[in-house]
Amino acid sequence: MKNAAAIEVHDLRKTYQVRDGGSWRGKTREITALDGISFTVPAGEIAGFIGPNGAGKSTAIKILAGILRPTSGTVRVGNLIPWENRLAHVARIGVVFGQRTQLWWDLSVGEGLALLRDIYSVEPARFLRNRERLADALDLHGIMDQSVRQLSLGQRMRAEIAAALIHDPDVIILDEPTIGLDAPSKLAVRAFVRDLRRERGTTVLLTTHDMHDIEALADRVIVIGHGRILADSPFEALQATTLSERILEADFTGPLPDLLLPEGATETARGSRSVTITFDPQRLPAPVLVAHLSTLPGLGDLRIGRPAIEEIITRFYADHAS
Amino acid sequence: MTIKPYVTSFVLQWKIGLRYRLAVLAGLVAQMWFGAISLMAYAAVYHHAPGVDAPMTLRQAMTYTWIQQSLFTLLPLGCLPAIGEAAKSGAIVYDLLRPVDLWNWWLSASLARLLGNAIPRAVLLAAVAGPLAALVGLNGWSLAPPASLWAAILALCSFILGAFISASIVMWWNIVTARTLSPLGTYAVGTPLAVLLSGMLLPLPLYPDWARELLLFQPFAGISDIPIRLYMGMAIPGGVLTALGIQCFWLAALTLVGRFWMHRTISRMEVQGA
Repeated sequence: MKNAAAIEVHDLRKTYQVRDGGSWRGKTREITALDGISFTVPAGEIAGFIGPNGAGKSTAIKILAGILRPTSGTVRVGNLIPWENRLAHVARIGVVFGQRTQLWWDLSVGEGLALLRDIYSVEPARFLRNRERLADALDLHGIMDQSVRQLSLGQRMRAEIAAALIHDPDVIILDEPTIGLDAPSKLAVRAFVRDLRRERGTTVLLTTHDMHDIEALADRVIVIGHGRILADSPFEALQATTLSERILEADFTGPLPDLLLPEGATETARGSRSVTITFDPQRLPAPVLVAHLSTLPGLGDLRIGRPAIEEIITRFYADHAS
Repeated sequence: MTIKPYVTSFVLQWKIGLRYRLAVLAGLVAQMWFGAISLMAYAAVYHHAPGVDAPMTLRQAMTYTWIQQSLFTLLPLGCLPAIGEAAKSGAIVYDLLRPVDLWNWWLSASLARLLGNAIPRAVLLAAVAGPLAALVGLNGWSLAPPASLWAAILALCSFILGAFISASIVMWWNIVTARTLSPLGTYAVGTPLAVLLSGMLLPLPLYPDWARELLLFQPFAGISDIPIRLYMGMAIPGGVLTALGIQCFWLAALTLVGRFWMHRTISRMEVQGA
């Protein structure tokens, strides 16, 4: 582990002044985006930051990136206060906003990386080494000479990640890095982030709507909602509790028989020839449930999955409603 | 602090400008057309009022027009398009994430774009309106050479100052764009203002007496009007030093006030979110 930096956030608050009606005649009112959040990400850890739209994730990310001033509270990223030492801070971080592009439309990927080399004063030898490594890992060799406006979304996203990492940042902030990516690109991005942390001990803060990103990467999961932290626990702990639930969908060739579900399973939806069952594999292992359903007449097909992240968050809200 | 990123940014924007060769040719044809029409109008006016004591000779008006036309793309017509795009898409936050001085960063890109557009057009137009026009016998209509070697040297210095003034005005448009998150306003205001006040529409020396001196003391005169007067060796109230002094004054004023304004704008973005 080297060069790593920790993130410390204490009692962070941010309120925005909003003018109703969008004109100078409207009344101003305050919107609280962050209502006192505190957390620490030790150096070299990957923390997942999840929550619905409008929960305050983006505000927190912008404050950590140094481009937004909080109303109160303290933040230290590797012992620098982001908004007070902005230039020194941004030189050490890499940021990917999945919905926005940081590469230059008119330039090729290679030219853009060369420009970033000069912006971040990366030594030539290190630049060439990083460029080669990133191109290998993110499959960029074929598109180095293509201009960014010609890239597909997946290619552009991989190039964006390379652009955020060319200067060996100590901390990387990934805001929806896999949004809109195809499956191979998602896998490439995840594998790359994992390797980066292992090799360089980079601290990573990741926001996503894709639970698979969290599962593949995060050591820690911080759930945020209504500007507050609802849960902050190791991934395994979250998995054992909230994420443990499974959903089974069964299709029948004829009319639905009487299910007589065992303990630990509940029927949550029913169609004319299909049924959805929610179960807890801790109490009722999936093979037992499947074996039980197989005895029923007319069973056609079975699918087992996990609830969508939105459902998990909704449940958090219900549990933490104040 | 290192100058490298600004130089690289300049070089890259310059390359982008050169990439649009067809636009250079199309612009050249349009500028030749407008130049020719203006020239014919001047010729008609001058020939039908021979008794009037005009501040410029017909020959000077023609040379003035050719240079103005060749430098059309040097005018600060609006913000840097890349900044306009970034403001609309929200990617402008990335500019705050760079460990660079934002003023110098945008200025180098703005200057490179102005020069990358203007220099190829200017060279081609100067070749067509100057020696080529003289060769085919249109001597009376062509672009005259500089008044003297001294005039050429002064004009070159003045043109360089002019390019920096123009880029600084583009910086003001860039800041407006960052504040309003739309580039359209700067084009709506910037284009007519620049075309009128730079002397592109009507040479500044040909305005009525009361307006002529006032017009010399506004920033747009420093972009091309003052350099052209120096090129032609025209008398400027107060002499050569006043001319260059006006340019230096505006460059300094636009930079100092602009930097302060940009600082305020960034602080506001930091408070309200971009």
